Amino acid sequence: MDLNYSPEQLMLKESAARFLSEVSSFEFRRQIIASEAGMDEEVWRGFAELGWLALPFAEENGGLGCGPVEISLLMEEMGKALVTEPFLASVVLAGGLLERVGSAEQRERVLTPLIAGMSRPALAHMERETGSDLGCIATQAVRDGNGYRLYGRKALVLGGASSDTFLVTARLDNEIALFLLPAGAEGLARKTVRLVDGSRACDLMLDSVRVDEQDLVSARGGVLPEIEAAYDRATAALAADAVGCMDALLAATITYTKQRVQFGQPLANFQALQHRMAEMAVKCEEARASALLATLSVDAPRTIRIRAVSGAKAKVGRASRHVAQEAIQLHGAMGYSEEMPVGSWFRRLYAFENSFGSTAEHLARYGAIVRDPAVLAGGLLREPEAY
Amino acid sequence: MDLLLTQEEIAFRDEVRAFLEAELDHDLRRAERLNPSFVAYPEVGRKWQAKVAKKGWAAPAWPKEHGGPGWTLAQRYIFDQECERAGEPNFRGASIKMIAPVLMRYGTEEQKRFYLPRILSGEDLWAQGYSEPGSGSDLASLKTKAMRDGDHYVVNGSKIWSTLAHHSTRMFALVRTSDTGKKQEGITFLLIDLSLPGISIRPIRSICGTHEFNQVFFDDVRVPVADRVGEEGQGWEIAKYLLEFERGGSFAGGALRALHSRLLKLASEPLPDGRRMIDDPVFAVRFAEIATDIDANDMLELTAMSKVQAGGNPGSVPSSTMKILRSRIRQAIAELAASILGRDALRWEEHRPLHELPEEPEIEEERKVASALYFNSRSQSIFGGSNEIQLEIIARTLLR
Ligand SMILES: Cc1cc2nc3c(=O)[nH]c(=O)nc-3n(C[C@H](O)[C@H](O)[C@H](O)COP(=O)(O)OP(=O)(O)OC[C@H]3O[C@@H](n4cnc5c(N)ncnc54)[C@H](O)[C@@H]3O)c2cc1C
Repeated sequence: MDLNYSPEQLMLKESAARFLSEVSSFEFRRQIIASEAGMDEEVWRGFAELGWLALPFAEENGGLGCGPVEISLLMEEMGKALVTEPFLASVVLAGGLLERVGSAEQRERVLTPLIAGMSRPALAHMERETGSDLGCIATQAVRDGNGYRLYGRKALVLGGASSDTFLVTARLDNEIALFLLPAGAEGLARKTVRLVDGSRACDLMLDSVRVDEQDLVSARGGVLPEIEAAYDRATAALAADAVGCMDALLAATITYTKQRVQFGQPLANFQALQHRMAEMAVKCEEARASALLATLSVDAPRTIRIRAVSGAKAKVGRASRHVAQEAIQLHGAMGYSEEMPVGSWFRRLYAFENSFGSTAEHLARYGAIVRDPAVLAGGLLREPEAY
Repeated sequence: MDLLLTQEEIAFRDEVRAFLEAELDHDLRRAERLNPSFVAYPEVGRKWQAKVAKKGWAAPAWPKEHGGPGWTLAQRYIFDQECERAGEPNFRGASIKMIAPVLMRYGTEEQKRFYLPRILSGEDLWAQGYSEPGSGSDLASLKTKAMRDGDHYVVNGSKIWSTLAHHSTRMFALVRTSDTGKKQEGITFLLIDLSLPGISIRPIRSICGTHEFNQVFFDDVRVPVADRVGEEGQGWEIAKYLLEFERGGSFAGGALRALHSRLLKLASEPLPDGRRMIDDPVFAVRFAEIATDIDANDMLELTAMSKVQAGGNPGSVPSSTMKILRSRIRQAIAELAASILGRDALRWEEHRPLHELPEEPEIEEERKVASALYFNSRSQSIFGGSNEIQLEIIARTLLR
């Protein structure tokens, strides 16, 4: 066990905080969110220059070979800075999945331009009907000569509004297969969807979209377990983003109540409010611990991973709701308005709660696992996996 | 004691139902369904209020002598429940529920004669000018200045969070006429015509995406002394009297029950993955809990208001109690409704008002507005005096 951040990790956190505070002020975010794209290409290039887009990928794929801890540190800062560029969608989710299931040629084709900041892939898996069962998709792949044709619809493709490459899942001979598609493919229609946190996703319609054999991403044993693992990695990363938002809300509330004077004294003098903020701080710490557990378990065997990730999704979900509501309440009407960033973090946390499965869905997934007495009784430290 | 309707009340209920059936058309209902806020969209609300006024029912709680229907409490309860169940765009806000009872109690004969009919007819819409940038919970610290100059007050300063000021013709405002003595004693209650020179309005958007409140600036605005309510320095007493009406002066139970009924509809519909929320035991328990809250709140509203004569004031502790309970229930319903959306909660429709968008099936529209309703519900524990301040008021009385 080692629970210390390395000096390199601390440096990453610091430089992320510095860079993001420079390029992502609240005023700037407000403009970006109101713009058509909902993201800023300049900021994305900045991510590339700082090496963030290379962070989680293996060195043999041109990456920096970092792990989930580095990702979570970055995500925390991105939450604080209200970043709407699709780092999570393109790098963690789509890039992370392709690195694990793609052929050498496909990794070269997708990851190299992604790392260079020239391309943003997005995973198009979920459909409107897909609930907590990730295998529930209806999009079909039909063989067509030496390739395939895809038919179906995908809902809420994260990062999909500005992506140039889609990783699309479809049923092929009763298995779920993954295909690589350029965004401009014939028969592929994209509709941009504005999300509650100000970022953009898209809905996709696939009407006889032709893909070649080389665009079938092979995965021995079916690609679904890898998709599940990719969503879990993304969920853990998003939990860190949420913790960043919670910290930001607590800090903003403390600053505000110290400076806002009513009844001849700062609001922070009132014990009734001091306890409310102390309770927020308790929730923040609980959420941070839970998110860290998820971060340190994303590469563990499935049961352990689910316990940590779904547990964190539910835990951070509930804690973040409390903190977000309290932050608004303690800011009074100011918090309920768009005059201050409080409402933006509130909305981002609302998006968190409803991304990659709701609190209730994750509780059910977690509950099914801790019902096993051995899992429930087991502590957090585990033997290293035999490779 | 009993809760039985008399024959006359049954006949009255049927008359209200028939009226709603005939007058509350599809467009009005749909606009209200897609309204995330606690107050109707002005152009929709106005349209509906005109119809209600034509029937003589514009101001359910007003006594007959001022043009109200002079209803009993049971009739007011029936009217509220029926209208809300039918989905009316309720537009009985600051004009009918706040400034009118103040004028009835403190206004001069001339003020009553001039202003009350204009409220009933919808000619005037009033905004509330209490809060200022520096004065929210500590309302009595307000700084907007009114200097006497002959037959006028010259007003300088700014009010904030003024709901619907951008649609209003007038504002009732608390202003400072004296800086000496206790801060409460230097406050005066003024009626301000919002078309006067020197007034400007800055829109403020809320987290539910709607432009509803504003900041209003006063730059040497000349208000006739005849538009003062009560005496100079009597403003604080009048302000508190008005707040009792804002917090607990009329029924909120019908709106809560209607929202919960909408939630039931939403929860009974199969979700995209085939499940129905109402079959989920955890959901069902929460749903039932809230229903008990609504029943208790109705009963509490009825008992509290039965102690008040028509046109009379509810009292500070009962009105604070009602304000707390209502806000919590509304927030609980909105929160539970939003929890049904699943991933669709991520979708955010920016256009306002929502009813201008192409019509979709009712359930789709309910899903479209649910997030905004949840965001909006967070304001319930802030406006009208925050819940912390309501608790202060109750505690101070309890521990006196
Ligand atoms: C949707 C909406 C509509 C509104 N419409 C109007 C309107 O039309 N006209 C109008 O005049 N005003 C309006 N208001 C303003 C409303 O009355 C104020 O927001 C409210 O009185 C609280 O003041 P504040 O926002 O300045 O919060 P603050 O007074 O700054 O309070 C911030 C937080 O501190 C808490 N607090 C303050 N003092 C204490 C204390 N002593 N002990 C414990 N906690 C304390 C508060 O409860 C709150 O949680 C509206 C507000 C909203 C949200």
